[in-house]
Amino acid sequence: MKPRNGSSVLRLAVPVKVLLQRFAFLFLILAAFGLMLLSKAETTLMERASEVVVDVFAPIMDALSQPAAVVSDVVRTARELASIRTENERLRRENARLLAWQEAARRLMAQNDALMGLLDFKPDPRARHVAARVIGDSGGAFVRSMLVNAGERDGLRKGQAVVTGRGLAGRIAAAGLRSARVLLITDINSRVPVLVETSRDRAILAGDNSGRPRLAFLPANAAVRTGDMIVTSGHGGVFPPGLPVGRVVLAGDGVVRVQPFVQFDRLEFVRVVDYAGVSAVIESAHDDDGRRLAE
Amino acid sequence: MNPSLSQRLDLLARNVIPAALGVVLVLLSTIPYYIPGYAPTAANLVLMAVFYWAVHRPDLLSPVTAFLIGLLQDILVGTPPGMNALVLVLVRTVAVSQGRVFRGRSFALLWWGFGLIAFAATFVGWGLSVVYNLAYIDPMPGLFQAAMTTALFPFLAGLFTLMQQKLLPQA
Repeated sequence: MKPRNGSSVLRLAVPVKVLLQRFAFLFLILAAFGLMLLSKAETTLMERASEVVVDVFAPIMDALSQPAAVVSDVVRTARELASIRTENERLRRENARLLAWQEAARRLMAQNDALMGLLDFKPDPRARHVAARVIGDSGGAFVRSMLVNAGERDGLRKGQAVVTGRGLAGRIAAAGLRSARVLLITDINSRVPVLVETSRDRAILAGDNSGRPRLAFLPANAAVRTGDMIVTSGHGGVFPPGLPVGRVVLAGDGVVRVQPFVQFDRLEFVRVVDYAGVSAVIESAHDDDGRRLAE
Repeated sequence: MNPSLSQRLDLLARNVIPAALGVVLVLLSTIPYYIPGYAPTAANLVLMAVFYWAVHRPDLLSPVTAFLIGLLQDILVGTPPGMNALVLVLVRTVAVSQGRVFRGRSFALLWWGFGLIAFAATFVGWGLSVVYNLAYIDPMPGLFQAAMTTALFPFLAGLFTLMQQKLLPQA
């Protein structure tokens, strides 16, 4: 019985294989469209699956990107050596100016502390920072994102702000165990609540894959000028308020655009801001309820 | 005479070279190089590899392999999953069907054919991105990328030819 069974399976398997080969093309095309649709509809499921794959390849990319980083550092050092004298002079002047600012900041901080004490002001929750190295720089022409070598085990969560010394770079779009994807503020899917520092006008910084994201939903009477500083507003509670983002540049067609402070093509290290804004607000609300109930 | 185990293992290892190369190129094109303006217009190394093997050794690069390499690229680059997979399956199919035109002819013809396919692939990728995001996206970075990819093709193709002659079992 057994051999006959086997041969009938074989006899069936051959046409199935031929059929598969013939329809492999069609099947794969449909599968590709299916995956794209699925990633639109079942975002979390597809994100989870992607994170697992990225986690597997993250250590390899981490190792592969080291030589490129070393070469880039050497080139930068050589370039800096050439201009070390003028740079030193510039820094000396800047240091003198910053010392004056430090004095002013100390005075204002003391004054601020005193005034906050008088008002019984509740300060913003303190943010924790996690440093991460960029291991993947999107090679895609139609996306603006990066991979970093820190993940959930380092305390990274979806939605957290990603900054450099200069300002806001993006947010965590998906976090795996030991790697995470950063959606840059220039990506077409990026929306960040911001405000104009001087006029306090609120707006949404909307990326469009160009180097300069747009300021959307700006009030009609807002007085924005070229050079105005744009900072995060903290609305939504995910980003800490006051993170520097960029400066306003007015495009010819009346669109208000922002030149980000961060130089995206030179990013080597970033800091992820673990800002407990949302949970702290919820906790304090619970506390109030508890107290009220107790009374 | 049956080949020994080590011979069979050796053959297997040589047969997976195009697929393994595809994965390595995905990783190499995803890591950062810290060159200003490079990342968005970086040459698509994976596209070159898939086209080259589809023309010269389609038996070693199945449609499923092309699909999986594209899917890995999607996941690591952050493009919608399935997008590059679709593009690479299409590129493989076109390259295989035109293989006879290219094989044994001048390199200039192969280069010209690749250029056409690189721009067509960019156009498909751009169209899919626009539909996926339901928003207009500037196609210029894609066109630069296609130009860069076409310009660098001879170097990679030379490397692939060397690999094909030295490492791969003859079909």
